[in-house]
Parts: sequence; C-alpha cells; structure tokens
Amino acid sequence: MARLLLPLAHHSEPIDPDLWEWLSDKIDHVLGIDAGAMVLLLGAVIVLFPVAVMVLVWRRRA
Amino acid sequence: MNGSSEKPTKQGVYYGWYIVAALFFASFLAIGSRQGFGVFVKTWEEDWGVSTAAISLAAAIGWLANGFSQPLVGYLTDRYGGRPVLIVSLAVMASATIGVAAVSNVFGLIVLYGFVISFASGGISPATTGVVIARWFDRKRGTAMSILIAGGSVGGLIVVPFLSYVLVEYGWRTAWVIVGALALGLGIPLLLLVVRSKPGDMGLHIDGEEPVESENGDVKVAVKPVGPKFVEQWKDALGSKPIWQLSFAYFVCGITTASISVHFVRWAISEDITTGTAALAFGVLSAINAGGVLVVGMLSDRWQRKNLLGAVYLVRGLAFISLIVVPGPQAIWAFAVIGGMSWLATVPLTASLTADVYGVRNLGTLFGLANMSHQLGGAGAVMLFGWAFTRWGSYDVPFAIGALTLLAAGIVSLSIREKRDSVRYSPVPADDVVPTGAAVGAGSGSQGGS
Repeated sequence: MARLLLPLAHHSEPIDPDLWEWLSDKIDHVLGIDAGAMVLLLGAVIVLFPVAVMVLVWRRRA
Repeated sequence: MNGSSEKPTKQGVYYGWYIVAALFFASFLAIGSRQGFGVFVKTWEEDWGVSTAAISLAAAIGWLANGFSQPLVGYLTDRYGGRPVLIVSLAVMASATIGVAAVSNVFGLIVLYGFVISFASGGISPATTGVVIARWFDRKRGTAMSILIAGGSVGGLIVVPFLSYVLVEYGWRTAWVIVGALALGLGIPLLLLVVRSKPGDMGLHIDGEEPVESENGDVKVAVKPVGPKFVEQWKDALGSKPIWQLSFAYFVCGITTASISVHFVRWAISEDITTGTAALAFGVLSAINAGGVLVVGMLSDRWQRKNLLGAVYLVRGLAFISLIVVPGPQAIWAFAVIGGMSWLATVPLTASLTADVYGVRNLGTLFGLANMSHQLGGAGAVMLFGWAFTRWGSYDVPFAIGALTLLAAGIVSLSIREKRDSVRYSPVPADDVVPTGAAVGAGSGSQGGS
C-alpha cells in the first residue's frame, strides 16, 4: 500500500513523499529563496491566472 | 446564473478558448491538490503516530473512488451539462479539502480524502471537462483537449511545491485550508463566470462559426454532420467495436502507468539507482510529457487519431523494453525521454476519438467507463507487479508483460476503423444549412445538449 504514493503522476496519483523531499531540498538549494517568499511567489502565480481570465471575460462582455 | 439570456459575442477570440482556460485552471487545482497529498504523509505519520501504509489506505481508496465516480459524473454531464456538474464537484471537493484541516486521525482522512474528495474530483476529470470541450470544439478538438490535459500536469508542477512551502511555513492544516479556499474563492467564481456547457447557451455555434446570409436573405449556419455510429443511448455503443477497442487500450494505459507509478522507485533501488536520480528522471519525464501531450493533440487535428494513439502505445512499449534491455542507469533516462513522450498523450486522443465515433450526447458516460477501466487496470497491475517482483526478485517479467500489453494496445488502436466510423471521415449527409436559432444541429459538436 505504501507504494501507492509514488512518483510518476499520470492522472492524479499522489506524489511520492521521499522523492518530493529530495526535490524540494534541491529547489531550495538552487533558488535559495526562503519558504515564505516561495509561498508568495507560487501563490501569486496560482491567483493571477484565474483573475486574468475573469478580467478578460468581463472586458469582452462589457 | 443562466447563460441562455446572454447576448452572443462574436468578436475577437472564439469564446471556447476562455472555456479551455477556465477548465485548465479547474484541472490545475483539482489534480495539483490531489498529487499534493504525498507532501503531507510524513507529517501525518509524526502527528498521528501511524504508519505510511495506514495513510496510503486513504490514497488507495481514493484511487478506486475516483475511478468509480467517473461513469456517474459522466452520465450526469450528459444529462445536465458540464457546468453544474463541474461547479457542484469543485464546491464539494473544496469544502471537504477545508474539512481535512480539522481531521485528527486516519479514519477522518479516509472519509474526507479517500471518499469525498476523490469522488468529487471525478467531476473535474476529462469525463466532464472533456465533454464540455467536445461540445465547444470540433475542428480543433484535439488541440483544446490536450491543453486541458496539460493543465493537470502543470498543476502538479506548481501546486505541489506551493503546498510544500505552505506546510513548512504555516503547517499542514493551513495548507489544506488555503487550497480549499483557492478552489472556493477563485475556482468556483471562474466556473460560474466563464463556463457554459455548450455554445448554444451563449447563442454561439461550435468552433465559433458565423452565420451566413443565403441568397434569399435568410441568415443560416452550417450544420455539422453526424457520424455513422452516433448513438442516442450510451448502451447502444456497447454493441459496437470501437468502444471496446478504446477501452481495452485505455485499460492497458492504466496498467502501464499505475505500475510504473507505484514500482518505479523500487525498481530504481533494485538497479542501484539513487532516489535523487530517480527524482531527476521524474522531472525530465514531467517536462517532456507536458510538451508531448500538446504536440500530439495538435497533430491529432490533422492526422487520424487512431494512428497517433497506436503510435503512443507502441512508443510506451519501447520505453518498457528499454527498462529490460538497457543497463539500469541508462535505462532510467531512456525511459524518462521515451516514456515522457507518451505518458499523457493517450487522454486527449481517447476522449476525442470517442467523441468522433459516438458523438457528444453520451460522451461523458462512455469516456467515464473508459476511465474506470483505466483505474481498475491500474489497481490490478499494481498488485500483480508487486507479486511478480516478490516471486522472481526482478521486474524483468512484469516489464515484459507491460511491453506485450502495450504492443497489443497499439495493434488494437491501429485496428480501429476511423475512416469508416468517425464523423471526421465518414459524415452522414445532412442538409447544408439550417436557420439560425434552431437547434445547432445534430453534428458531432452540437449533439445532445442538456
């Protein structure tokens, strides 16, 4: 059962926790940005996309 | 909010592309947050004092619940349209996601994640999103589907790290609240504002076709032809070959992707490959599959989809063979490159081909059944591959079985008689035009509005 949590996500299988730990360490090492800044950065990416789509649709309908 | 009262908008970019963007984000959130489950496993083990296996039970139940939900949500999509199904599914998923923050044991996780979230996320799968796309697109159906499917892949690449950093900074309960809040605060408004189940709900026509004025002054729009195997009831399709050919191939897709998902690390360890190398190979595979699915989707709007589908299965078969014949350290990279090209490409091809052959009236149910076969194939293969490794101490035999099943899936896909059965190649003659405002036609893209 433990192996159901593994790496190569096809549809929506959960990512493997060991691989993710290794990957996040590497990302931290390469980028050198602290967790709080990464939350803001990735959060902005996640929020901006739908907001941009909604603005475009609003403008189109206006 | 009812879209039928809105004025048609004809200028600029075809409105269907906004639908694609909205569904891309819904898939992005739904799949990204489900993949993010793995980020929390170690934290839960420490907080609750339970084993990985106990937490994995929630994931395993979730896998099956997601598979079994798809024919149902597909049927509901066929019956009521994609918009209400998507909105209700995302609302349930988001509420349950916030609820996970209050969970204090594995039982609660099994109930909320294993059953509720996983079942509801079936309503944001290609069985629903694919149907909406198929009703908005005909000529560029493959391209639109592939962009949609890439949304899930991108979601994994962005949402999973996001959750991880929120976990580090604010704790796991906050992470689940934030994801649920994003879905409720952004996903639901986006779907409400943008998504309509079919072009007719906005007074538009499939592919954004404009009405034309005929010689006698009537304003008319071209009718999309029907296909020779279009069905009124989903059960009617079960008496024909293509649905079984597509479902068999998709069953093999489930076998080969799930088995690799579950056994990849154990195989890497058995070949003395480090977890780090396996992770890097995973990154390469992810990047290639996001690009691969877009390329295949675009090509499928020009070429026969069954040829591409067959090629995708055969290429994946080569990737499996590489795991047997190439030495371990090279095999992992060969697999990442060759397998990456084929990893997600089956989804838009199978959905589009199902729509081309049977029409969109029952596409949700039919593709939902194919998706269920995919998940069941995957669940069975995970156990079989595990048993085989225990029995022989090597993955050579299960990988060889995987390659053989992929060869069979490739041949079966290539044997689909697309030129005979698909509306793209064998349209049934229909009147050239009908008056604007009438039912948009019985064509592949307009059939079966709710």
